[in-house]
Amino acid sequence: MKIMVCLKQVPHQDARLDINSEGNWIKDDGIKFEINSYDLYALEEALRIKDAGEADVFAVSIGPERTTQALRTALGMGADRAIHVKDPEAEGSDSLGIARILAAVAAQESPDLILTGFMSDDGNFSAVGPMLAELLDLPHTTAALKVARSDGTTTVDREMEGGAHEVVALTGPCVVAVQTGLNQVRYASLKGIMAAKKKPLDVKTVAELGLSGRVGGAAAKVKIQSLALPPKGKGAEMLKGSANEIAAGLVSKIKELGLL
Amino acid sequence: MGSVLIVAEIQNGRIREASYELASVAQRVGSASGRSVHSLVAGSGVESLAAEFAKRGGGTVHTADHELLANYNAEAHATAIKAAVEASGADLILLSNTPSGWDVAPRIAAALEAGFVSDCFDVTVEDGSLAFKRRVFNGKLNAHFSANSEKVVATVQPGAVKPFEGTTDGALQPLSIAIDAGALRSRFVEVKQAEAKGVDLSKADIIVSGGRGVGAPEKFEEVIKPLAEALGGAMGASRPVVDAGWLPHAYQVGSSGQVVSPKLYVAAGISGAIQHLVGMKSSNFIIAINKDADAPIFEVANVGVVGDLLEIVPALTAAVRSAKGA
Repeated sequence: MKIMVCLKQVPHQDARLDINSEGNWIKDDGIKFEINSYDLYALEEALRIKDAGEADVFAVSIGPERTTQALRTALGMGADRAIHVKDPEAEGSDSLGIARILAAVAAQESPDLILTGFMSDDGNFSAVGPMLAELLDLPHTTAALKVARSDGTTTVDREMEGGAHEVVALTGPCVVAVQTGLNQVRYASLKGIMAAKKKPLDVKTVAELGLSGRVGGAAAKVKIQSLALPPKGKGAEMLKGSANEIAAGLVSKIKELGLL
Repeated sequence: MGSVLIVAEIQNGRIREASYELASVAQRVGSASGRSVHSLVAGSGVESLAAEFAKRGGGTVHTADHELLANYNAEAHATAIKAAVEASGADLILLSNTPSGWDVAPRIAAALEAGFVSDCFDVTVEDGSLAFKRRVFNGKLNAHFSANSEKVVATVQPGAVKPFEGTTDGALQPLSIAIDAGALRSRFVEVKQAEAKGVDLSKADIIVSGGRGVGAPEKFEEVIKPLAEALGGAMGASRPVVDAGWLPHAYQVGSSGQVVSPKLYVAAGISGAIQHLVGMKSSNFIIAINKDADAPIFEVANVGVVGDLLEIVPALTAAVRSAKGA
């Protein structure tokens, strides 16, 4: 069986977010990047299916040169090969543009299962998985907390509100967008990292995927007009001082509430 | 000008509150931009619900009645939504960012080659254009999106706007929906209700919660729990802590965990992702301790401290103990 895992490289969760001069994204030079947290769970799930039987797991990512690092990490964790769509024409794509690129890769590879993260930690759209399924005419589900496969059926527990789960059964090839927490993500071992250096990492362009003019910023249907820090609202009363001074200030607040 | 289509949602035999919130957005955007308001009520045996929704903000309500729509099914519901878009001539399609809304909305957008914006806290009309307001970077920044496509599909965050409270005149227009059960490749199996929680935070007057900023699982025992105990309260956690396996899911506060409103909520090392804020923002008094001065948690907190929780929380624990001893 063949499993495609879609990975996005996003600014590190602790990276400083300064708005760029155009006011439409953050300044992304000089900050650290990492694999989107949700996508790590997708990769781990694919690797667990591989560990339990036979599977060819390949990771796909779209992005500039730095994205190679994310794919090397995926190979180090245990993916068999990686595909890097590296092309300035892909930059500025909206969710549909990204889904088109991934769909073109999937059309060349015909995977039995496509795993994506439920959301990205930067754009927070939660769009690519279902869009990819629509473009490929495959069934899908989202917010997966458990994935089980047998006889060509993928049974997924998906997260509902208030801790309930909905169980959905998907027949044949399908797209599953996974929620964080569905497994415990492994680290790349030193041995894995060494082995990764010999694994295939193919680079593709937008033109090679037959998508010239259909993706990227020019084809994007939605765009950011402006970006700002959220308004502070009433805002919290900020306490300053040494740890002991702050503690004393907090204790007097708690006393005012009648809780001490 | 096109129209606005509200995709209403049925939960436990009723139109859910979030759908009336969509009605509120649709009515406001409709009057500001000259769009008429249409809705879709899809399910099995929906006529009376649809009639009620038509009177309470739904406008012209298209009904899709089919036994395969009784439970959420992405393919079946997508068929109904596409039929309603066609019948209503909608160029703005609104869904709630709920488990079924977030699942089907992007699929519809791709099928219609429409622009897509998710989890908006507001949709407005500015200088004649639709403006979609939403958070990015897990709540750390606010973004205003515009669309340049013929159609736009947007999901709206439940609870972000007030539900529509006026009355409207609306007719019902049944859609004829053909769904071939044999052709569906996804199948609803069951809903498993949440298991009984080992930790019931809803009854606690005081909750001390830790987030990723606590740094390590043992720090919950060493730092967070002692403060909770000193205050006579309970310990909670944010999602990343539970996802990392540091604490069981029973401790999770947030939209996918427990929704709480204690007299005092202490958030230590929690940045304040939306899903966490939803679970605790109605607390009577909130103290936030975080090393990042821009963390969204400070927006909802009454008192904030920017600093190292591993210094401040133990100092607070000691001060609480001595205040109690005094």
